[in-house]
Amino acid sequence: MKHTQGKFLSGYVTILVKGNMPELFFQKCVEQGISVWNVRKKGVDSCVGNVKLSDIHAIKQIKRRGNYRISFIGRKGFPFLFHRFIKRKEVLFGLLIGIFAIIFLSNIIWKVDINGLPKEIEEKVVKQLESYGIHQGAWTLSLGTPSDIQKKLMRDVPELLWIGVQKKGTTFQLEGVEKLIVKEDKVKGPRHLVATKKGTIKKMYISKGVPQVAVNDFVKPGDVLVSGVLNQSEENNKEKDKNKVFVASEGQVIANTWYEVAVSIPLEAKYEVLTGKQEKRYYMGINDFQVPIWGFKTPEYADIFVEQNENPIYFLKWKLPFQFIESSISEKTYHTTKRTKEEAIQIGIEQAKQELVYELGPDAKVISEKVLHVTTERGKVNLELYLTVEEDIVKEVPIQKNSKDGD
Amino acid sequence: MKNIQQRIRPLLIKYLALPSDVVLELPRITVIGQIHAYIENHKGLALFTDEELRLRATKGYIQIKGSSFVLKMMLPEEILLEGTITDIRFISE
Repeated sequence: MKHTQGKFLSGYVTILVKGNMPELFFQKCVEQGISVWNVRKKGVDSCVGNVKLSDIHAIKQIKRRGNYRISFIGRKGFPFLFHRFIKRKEVLFGLLIGIFAIIFLSNIIWKVDINGLPKEIEEKVVKQLESYGIHQGAWTLSLGTPSDIQKKLMRDVPELLWIGVQKKGTTFQLEGVEKLIVKEDKVKGPRHLVATKKGTIKKMYISKGVPQVAVNDFVKPGDVLVSGVLNQSEENNKEKDKNKVFVASEGQVIANTWYEVAVSIPLEAKYEVLTGKQEKRYYMGINDFQVPIWGFKTPEYADIFVEQNENPIYFLKWKLPFQFIESSISEKTYHTTKRTKEEAIQIGIEQAKQELVYELGPDAKVISEKVLHVTTERGKVNLELYLTVEEDIVKEVPIQKNSKDGD
Repeated sequence: MKNIQQRIRPLLIKYLALPSDVVLELPRITVIGQIHAYIENHKGLALFTDEELRLRATKGYIQIKGSSFVLKMMLPEEILLEGTITDIRFISE
């Protein structure tokens, strides 16, 4: 009876055939490949039988060829049930409301879980999250992606070494690692302070150790600036070992160092500026198709910059193929500036200074700059600069026991 | 040509043990007690009433008699009959 399996799902009808020899009508149906079941003779000229809903069309064609009258006396199966169900408006309405309620509730944050952080930092993180709009009961559609939130948190909470942000259904799970400020070991082995770069010494602040150089001395990389060995002046070889005291030398040695930098600055620069005018639009995304739901008018901006933020909609824990898309359209303008050669040189110097300070750290200071060479080529000014920088050149080097014995 | 085929077929059954209903194109009737009859390899329905089912076969008809007949299933070459069967008869033309 394989052929009648699933007949309930696809739906079937009971037909009454009237005419001469009605059973032959079913025979014709069977010859056409239509499956027929429960055929019963009702009288001399009438016969009932069941056929699938999908075969109705073929049956009508067979009817046209013969001399039979057909009436449908029973409709059974899911399509008919469904049809009847659809007709009841209130049930359908309730069902729709139910689905919407589930979708609505699936897209709300029910819980924010923070693990692995001490109480006070957790509090801070919660406060930050709230300022981003992430708290219990918030609507998830307008929030950023977890990785965005992670970046923002890392930026705004300096105590965090790392934080993992995960969105699991309606729960935000945050796993944090506190930045442990490791106190530097107070007890350190004896050490020298050694120069890392060549330069002339400007200032020295030594809190421990014996300075080996003086202000205005020229030093090369590897030169000992501050020695960790006290009583070095002791001439007596025999007593040397006894009198020697090793300390962990500490201090700052600020020196003038020199750098040669090459920069090239275009004479004509183009850049984009957002004017601050902005329009927001909201879309419903279905796969790649976007249906606007709010914000229909096209802003009259000459040039636009579009930023799109897509948020998937959830049904319980499943991601639906719909997205809520927030797109902001900002007006932008293009600017072109032309610089004279002198301006370009000025900009080049500033840029070189900034880059160098960025590379050396915030303690470095550029004190003077000198233009060595200027060439203009294909609308660009190429500069070679000589910069003098004031910076700390100290590096700590431990004193080896062996080498000090050999001294 | 047909003559040769007809002569070969009984030989096939005899020596190769092929099922006779397939080779000879004869109907196969499976009867379960009095309540069911399952007919395969028939050549079409000729008559069906409450008390009689007549099917065409290669030669002649198969006539099944009884009462309260229902065709539980109809396929191009198979029929499942339900009811109370009293007799099955082969009618040759």
